[in-house]
Amino acid sequence: MSLLGTLRHRLGLGPPPSSSGLLQAVPRHVFRWDLDKTYLRTEFDSIKDLAKAAFENAADKQAYPGAAALLRALRSSEHRITIVSGSPTQMRQVLAAKLALDGVEFDEFVLKNNLKNILRGRFRALRAQIPYKLPALLASRCNSPAAPAETLFGDDAEADAIIYCLYADLLAERVSATDLERILQAARTYEDDALRTLELARRVPKGDPVKRMFIHLDRRSPPQGFRRYGRRLVPVYNYFQTAVVLYGDGVLSARQVLFVAFDMLDSRQFELASLANSLQDLLRRGRLDREVALRLAGEAQAAAKSGALTGRTDLPPFEQIARVFTDRVKELGGAALGWPAEDEPLDYVALVDEEHDRRRDRRRRGH
Amino acid sequence: MGGDLAPDEIVRGAAEASLSLGAEIILVGDAAVLGRILPQLRHDGARVRVHHAPARVEMDEKPAEALAAKPDASIAVAADLVARGDGDALVSAGNTGASVLACARRWKLLPGVRRSALAAVYPTELRRGDKDDPFSLILDVGATIDASAEDLVTFAVMGSAYAKVVSKNRRPRVALLSNGAEAGKGPAAVVTAHELLLATTELNFIGNVEGLDIPRGFADVIVCNGFVGNVVLKMLEGVSETVVRLARYAHKERLAWRLGLFALSSAIDQLKQITDWQQYGGAPLLGFEHLFIKAHGRSNAHAITNAIKVANKALAGNLCGTIARTMAELDERRRLAAPVAPTP
Repeated sequence: MSLLGTLRHRLGLGPPPSSSGLLQAVPRHVFRWDLDKTYLRTEFDSIKDLAKAAFENAADKQAYPGAAALLRALRSSEHRITIVSGSPTQMRQVLAAKLALDGVEFDEFVLKNNLKNILRGRFRALRAQIPYKLPALLASRCNSPAAPAETLFGDDAEADAIIYCLYADLLAERVSATDLERILQAARTYEDDALRTLELARRVPKGDPVKRMFIHLDRRSPPQGFRRYGRRLVPVYNYFQTAVVLYGDGVLSARQVLFVAFDMLDSRQFELASLANSLQDLLRRGRLDREVALRLAGEAQAAAKSGALTGRTDLPPFEQIARVFTDRVKELGGAALGWPAEDEPLDYVALVDEEHDRRRDRRRRGH
Repeated sequence: MGGDLAPDEIVRGAAEASLSLGAEIILVGDAAVLGRILPQLRHDGARVRVHHAPARVEMDEKPAEALAAKPDASIAVAADLVARGDGDALVSAGNTGASVLACARRWKLLPGVRRSALAAVYPTELRRGDKDDPFSLILDVGATIDASAEDLVTFAVMGSAYAKVVSKNRRPRVALLSNGAEAGKGPAAVVTAHELLLATTELNFIGNVEGLDIPRGFADVIVCNGFVGNVVLKMLEGVSETVVRLARYAHKERLAWRLGLFALSSAIDQLKQITDWQQYGGAPLLGFEHLFIKAHGRSNAHAITNAIKVANKALAGNLCGTIARTMAELDERRRLAAPVAPTP
């Protein structure tokens, strides 16, 4: 494809470049990202917030520190990055431009056609998450080569934890068609959408590819509330934590984790101490092994010994990074840490009802 | 990690502070216990850090004995962390004696300060400072039982600095607590301190006040030794509790009194809010190179959040630096004023 074609795609104006080869080969790993409150610092709790988000230009939109660096680190010829967002399709151009500004490349970009919903009088669908996102995820897996591994990124603002677990359980055939029907009913899905979702669930390539799910704690929800979703779902306060967990999983190298860390330090919203605290938080919650944390510190120490420099005088040297990380691990002494997360089957209908109650409660409180 | 409601309420207060303040909070205590409580609370995981300390001094333990028997008690470990610069201030709701002792053994006094002082706030009729604070500061309330005249002057300097930095009171009125307003009243140390304070232009010294002037709020900073301050503070607390008990008695006794109390309920609520010690954070221990805020032993999460906020405000206003600077100025002026010995 020509450069113009690639640019048109990056701006969301055309189909993905077919000559890149990325789409034809079977990817080793698919990373599925949400945008608002996961990648972008977006407020949409009130009409005013929604209007502001709609009229912002690409340069005004703010990504969370480290998110762009992490996406760049995850990008490789063997990986596929898909974005499934609840933002309206009318925002495609500005969102794609923002991703381009951040140097983020993607293979697929799905947005919600809210204009169509309005024209069809489907006002319930405007804010509905499960009836939109679940079929979008299933369709994405149906329409592209199915990878053996998937990692999903969402947030605590809406129902991402439920949707991602349901998606993973559908692929692993842990949820039957009858159960899915009941779940879609509980989620107040329009009938034709429910039929389409059931059909997609029937024909989606099965397996157990979802290895990890990350929930960005934008609302600072207590992490304890996510234990019931099992060990593979990790609530995170920031993208350094995400990068560290992916390092533990063998997806990222220590070098890539440190690049994410530097991006966050660069944002001036984080200091070395807050990154070290984030590392310790994962240890306390049993989401990271001491051995992995010390291995990361060891790799920073090895970088220091080899004479490697961070390349910037305003960033802490590797030696200091290694020392602070090691200290945070040692500060926990020999205390027994973490509670094993539950890996019990989920009652999705109850979860959907709870989510409805939470949303109603938030609306009542004006959030 | 001490206090009657520790560790749950302490962690809850710290978690809340992690969201509202830009400060890093180090929780010192049993890491396994803290690690189980924190994930149940809304907090900022990047701003909270846990430092493991397996033991703690209980509220009813003798301070010196407890610290000797438990060198890894949370208060000792926390004081160490501050001493070596890992923390800037210490907040505790635990055993007061053990807390003061742990700080005194590990922290250096500021130059010119011979004894530390524990300060407490008391609600008053008059309000003061840019923030319209409805309380005055009493110090010392228990750190230095027998203070000399020079110590009382130092306490006045420290109390005045605290009122300036925390209450945003540009020129706090400082008074000596005595048994009469006249300069010659009181024990020798108070009489001498009065003379010294009159000569101390760095302070807005208004003279002596009596016990009954404390709740009236004539002075913003009231200076006394630790023995007197502790007795005064506990008596004032006792009076407040007795008033509440009498009101409860009246409520039960007669319908007419009950109706009267009902009519006054909003005013009583307002009064309760003003006199609620949980609003004021805690008592600062002044005189050391570092700051210690002693929260009430019964502190709940709200009180702990406020204690952390007070510590944060004192740090932002460089309270210890302000005290050190004033003490140095005072010292310099005294040195210049001293008669020069004739050269032989």
